Amino acid sequence: MKKIIARNIAIITAIFMITLSIMLITNYFQAKDVSPLQTQVVETLKKLNDQNADNPQLQEQIRQLDLMARKAYFINMDHLMRGVYLLLGMLVVFIVSIRIYFAQHKDIPDKEIDLIDEWAIQSQARKYVGLIATGLTAVALLFVVFSMPFMQASKNNTETALAQKDTNSSIVGNTINEAPSLPEETIETNPVENTGSIESEEESVSVEETPLSSKESTTEEIDVASVETSEKAETTAPVSVPKVTSNAFRGNDANGITQAKNIPVKWDLQGGSNIAWKSEIPRGGQSSPVINGNRVFITGADAQARELYCYDLNTGKLLWTLAAVNIAGSPSQVPKTTEDTGLASASVSTNGKQVCAIFATGDVICANMEGKQLWAKNIGVPDNHYGYASSLLVFKNQLFIQYDNRNTHKLIALNTENGKELWSKERADKIAWSSPSIAYVNNQPQLILMSDPSITAYNPTTGDQIWRVECLMGEVGASACSADGIIFGASEYAKMVAINGTDGSVLWESMDYLPEASSPVATHDNIYLATSYGVVASFDTKTGELKKEHETGEEFYSSLMLVEGKIYLFSNGGKMHIFSADDEFKLLDSFETGENTYATPAFTDGRIVVRTDQSIYCVKAN
Amino acid sequence: MKRLFSILSSLLLMSGIGAQNRFPKPDFESGYQYPDIQHALPNEQLWLYVDIFMLVALMSFVAWAILKKRTRKPIIWVSVISVAYFGFFRSGCVCSIGSVQNVSLALVGHTYILPVSVLLFFILPILFAFLFGRVFCAGVCPFGAIQELVNIKNYRLSRSVTSVLSIIPWVYLIFAVLYAVTRSSFIICRFDPFIGFFRLGGDFGLILFGALLLLASVFTGRPFCRFICPYAPLLSLFSRVAIWKVQITKQKCINCELCHNACPVDAIRPPYENKVKEQRLQGVKRLLMYFVVLPFMMVALAFIMRYASDDLSRAHKEVRLYDMVQKQEADPQDKITLELESFFGQGGKISELKQKVNVIQQDYKRYSTIAGALMGLVIGLMLIKLSIKRSRKEYEIEHADCVDCGKCFSYCPQNSICKSVLLK
Amino acid sequence: MNNDNNLKNSPLQRRKFLKVVGMTVAGGSILAVAGVLSTKTGTKEAGHLWQIDPAKCTQCGRCETDCVLSVSAVKCFHANKVCGYCDLCGGYYRSNVKDLNTAAENLMCPTGAIQRKFVEDPYFEYAIDEDLCNGCGKCVKGCTSFGNGSLYLQIQRDLCKDCNECAIAKVCPSDAITLVPLDQAYNLKG
Repeated sequence: MKKIIARNIAIITAIFMITLSIMLITNYFQAKDVSPLQTQVVETLKKLNDQNADNPQLQEQIRQLDLMARKAYFINMDHLMRGVYLLLGMLVVFIVSIRIYFAQHKDIPDKEIDLIDEWAIQSQARKYVGLIATGLTAVALLFVVFSMPFMQASKNNTETALAQKDTNSSIVGNTINEAPSLPEETIETNPVENTGSIESEEESVSVEETPLSSKESTTEEIDVASVETSEKAETTAPVSVPKVTSNAFRGNDANGITQAKNIPVKWDLQGGSNIAWKSEIPRGGQSSPVINGNRVFITGADAQARELYCYDLNTGKLLWTLAAVNIAGSPSQVPKTTEDTGLASASVSTNGKQVCAIFATGDVICANMEGKQLWAKNIGVPDNHYGYASSLLVFKNQLFIQYDNRNTHKLIALNTENGKELWSKERADKIAWSSPSIAYVNNQPQLILMSDPSITAYNPTTGDQIWRVECLMGEVGASACSADGIIFGASEYAKMVAINGTDGSVLWESMDYLPEASSPVATHDNIYLATSYGVVASFDTKTGELKKEHETGEEFYSSLMLVEGKIYLFSNGGKMHIFSADDEFKLLDSFETGENTYATPAFTDGRIVVRTDQSIYCVKAN
Repeated sequence: MKRLFSILSSLLLMSGIGAQNRFPKPDFESGYQYPDIQHALPNEQLWLYVDIFMLVALMSFVAWAILKKRTRKPIIWVSVISVAYFGFFRSGCVCSIGSVQNVSLALVGHTYILPVSVLLFFILPILFAFLFGRVFCAGVCPFGAIQELVNIKNYRLSRSVTSVLSIIPWVYLIFAVLYAVTRSSFIICRFDPFIGFFRLGGDFGLILFGALLLLASVFTGRPFCRFICPYAPLLSLFSRVAIWKVQITKQKCINCELCHNACPVDAIRPPYENKVKEQRLQGVKRLLMYFVVLPFMMVALAFIMRYASDDLSRAHKEVRLYDMVQKQEADPQDKITLELESFFGQGGKISELKQKVNVIQQDYKRYSTIAGALMGLVIGLMLIKLSIKRSRKEYEIEHADCVDCGKCFSYCPQNSICKSVLLK
Repeated sequence: MNNDNNLKNSPLQRRKFLKVVGMTVAGGSILAVAGVLSTKTGTKEAGHLWQIDPAKCTQCGRCETDCVLSVSAVKCFHANKVCGYCDLCGGYYRSNVKDLNTAAENLMCPTGAIQRKFVEDPYFEYAIDEDLCNGCGKCVKGCTSFGNGSLYLQIQRDLCKDCNECAIAKVCPSDAITLVPLDQAYNLKG
């Protein structure tokens, strides 16, 4: 009797439990998707209310919905809790009753599912273990083989890390004061730091990684494919390729900072000391050289032709020339330009795959690394009384053109691969000769343009304006620089401003010394600039206070470059000035190089490439 | 005016002290007093003592019941108490199973300080296993207890299959220790199937898994304890050499086979006469072969695990963060993850993170090599164990597997004879 | 020598010998492990309780969703001594609020857990009804970005299950959740 009651209770509770659990589970899935407290409807309605206040109907609706949401939330919570307790209680009743029912139950001898003989069981188990072990090993090996490229990639990352560690330590090895802190502090802006350096290093590693990975794989004797590539690499690239690139005017990101190391501190063109090579440039120009791998790019132009040249970094040999010809819309008569600006004043830019150049005719050409023209177009003849001078900037596969002329005021982004326009923004600014640069703010890239009257930041991907500060006037020739998420811009007859990149607020302004054509460069602590009338000065990045000044008696058009904790600066007469990039801002050395230099030099490991009036030369310690 | 001045001056003062206090402390004129806020604070220290006391008391009780009294009744009650107290009331934390991770972390980590209660939770069941066998498993462990309580009928599983499955706990244990010593994750705690029941809520998938395990344990004894629990291998190591071992009966075994059918965890071995079906030489050869294979297996698995260590290291938060950072660097997105946001927001330095990640990956390399070697050792020893013959004359308990549930006592006719004699 | 003979001759002897060896090894290892571990223990410094470091918290909102409990053990706490008692409270009102009243469209808290009481002109006292709070941290975000930061998230002791590994700590983007010793049960602000 007792047993039957227990059994019936057990059956009833079991049925209840099953239904209840199904209910709870469906409830769970329903409630999981809709969190009543975060409904989209209420949120959008609230936003609507923010936009147009005093709409009693809307407010009433919000209140109703909000009440419903809260009710739904708390009732749901309540139900869930009660349901779970109920389920638990039933489970207890079920277990008790079923135990009572089975109280006298005994497990009687069952049909033996195993073999009678123990040894046979053991042998069988052994077989299973063996089978599973081999199976697992096979799966693991398969996995290893399939994940090979992935593993390779992660290995390269560690190599990059090691490489960077090496660079750090090598800098520590250098005796220049403050040098150890250089890679962390001076490179980029913002708390993120290092962004620029890592990007450049990654790019460089992609060039170098084949020989490195070959070493790895041959020692481990696993990856056949990479062994092959290593062989290829050995045949094609016997000479070591410099790691550090200088992809645009004023280095990568056009920020005046380079990661190059072992830079010579003394050279002389006449005596030939520390000069690796010197070549004539067929046609004149003011554009600055750009280095990627073993290639040096530069432009030259005159009324006859506009040309892009590629030189070998090691020998100085002219590898190829590409002329901007047969372009639809290109003017038959070249625009008038002044003597000191010329037709090839804007520097080229590259991303290691494509190299793009622009001329004062409005012609843009793009070639691959071997000199094959990929595309060319004319983006409109600039109406510019000196001559178009804004350098190009390539960021990933985007080419940015600051096209601020008298007739057009645009920022254009083209796809470097095919020249298609990605986006284009009309600008409310006037004519300018400044160049775009990239600043990193909270690790996000911002495209910074300077013009009359504003400094403007754009999102490089979409072209949306992030902020705009009106603070400049006159003819803006210098470009912006940035450090730690703060953007600095300065122009003659206007002022120097420091702008917080996160919100576009002006941190400080200064009018002590202002550059005309030479662009400033900033570290974590200081910003350095050179005026056209010979003063080189440093300011505090936090306050804008003038820290140090040097009267050199020279003229400066070339921009300052920050290398290895030092500032390199050419005067127009070709006198090299080397300063320490610290609070002291000491003039470490200054010497005549021999030829007039207006362009900004490009740096890579152990080498400087300089454009003078007529020629291009490379400095390398002998 | 005076008040305005005071506000202004205090504002200035505040801005000097900390940027946080944007608004000055109000100076109330109505004699307002700051409310005295008390936050709920149960006496946790006391409960830790109660936990330890309960652990020791219940284990001693079980030991007394199975060694002295040879009866199962108290074990049911111990199970009920354990499920109610350790399970529902204390929500199953800290349990002995999970304590393995804390202990291994304490053994390698220089900075980790082990709470005494966790140490006791780890060492006491092992000590009791060494003295009396796996009395902890019998009903003190809430996970074992809940399975014991729902168990009704025992369908037997093939021995050859179960002995293969018994490798899983070892592998689980090795991985749990690997992830614990690298400070990545406590996987035993994360993938605990029963904790959802005790807390009346949790991850749906785990609760479902737990429900399925409970359902399975209605029909076969303790699937979790036998095939998953990573603490069980440790206990069985010690209970194998326990000082006072549990016996089915004090009397002579009559080889009636009843106890063999009763055992829910299949820990009772039938008598076996070592009738040689194969050449002794062949057996010895095989054994020698396994001994030779053992080091190779260890090296192979160690190598594979070492190779996979970079992937394994992604279980670590910082490694994942570094991956995210790198992804962001390679292809900057406008919308960044919360992790990156707070990393950059707090001025994290990528170079520092990189160094940290390098250290972690080195750790992973070292420890996963050891883990691989251990896995090879476990499999190799399993093979060796399976190729050793042992003769038995009567039904015997395999103490490594026995969970001291006490089911066999009532099945043994010799025991009831004994009782009936006593009753008369 | 004698031992060797025994080992060879009698399996029973051998078993007994192995058993003694096993027992010694097992007992020894227990003692050794316990000894080593006891040097690593400390009741005072050992971490037992999970607490949020308010200075590190970024109010990402994961506390609400990732706790093992169906309603998170993380609640909003209020440090009255830090509070500015503002009328326009960044934690109580949504941003861009027009009228400072208790209408639903103006309030920040999704569950209505913040109670506001008039003290004297122009001060208002704020208190949290912890039964209603779900730990979403919306008010904390508001107070931190526009206010003194007197509202902050903290783990309520009597609700927290003291998991061996806190599920929120696992996903916390700023590593704000750490173990604290028993005798400093709350990591309070102000």
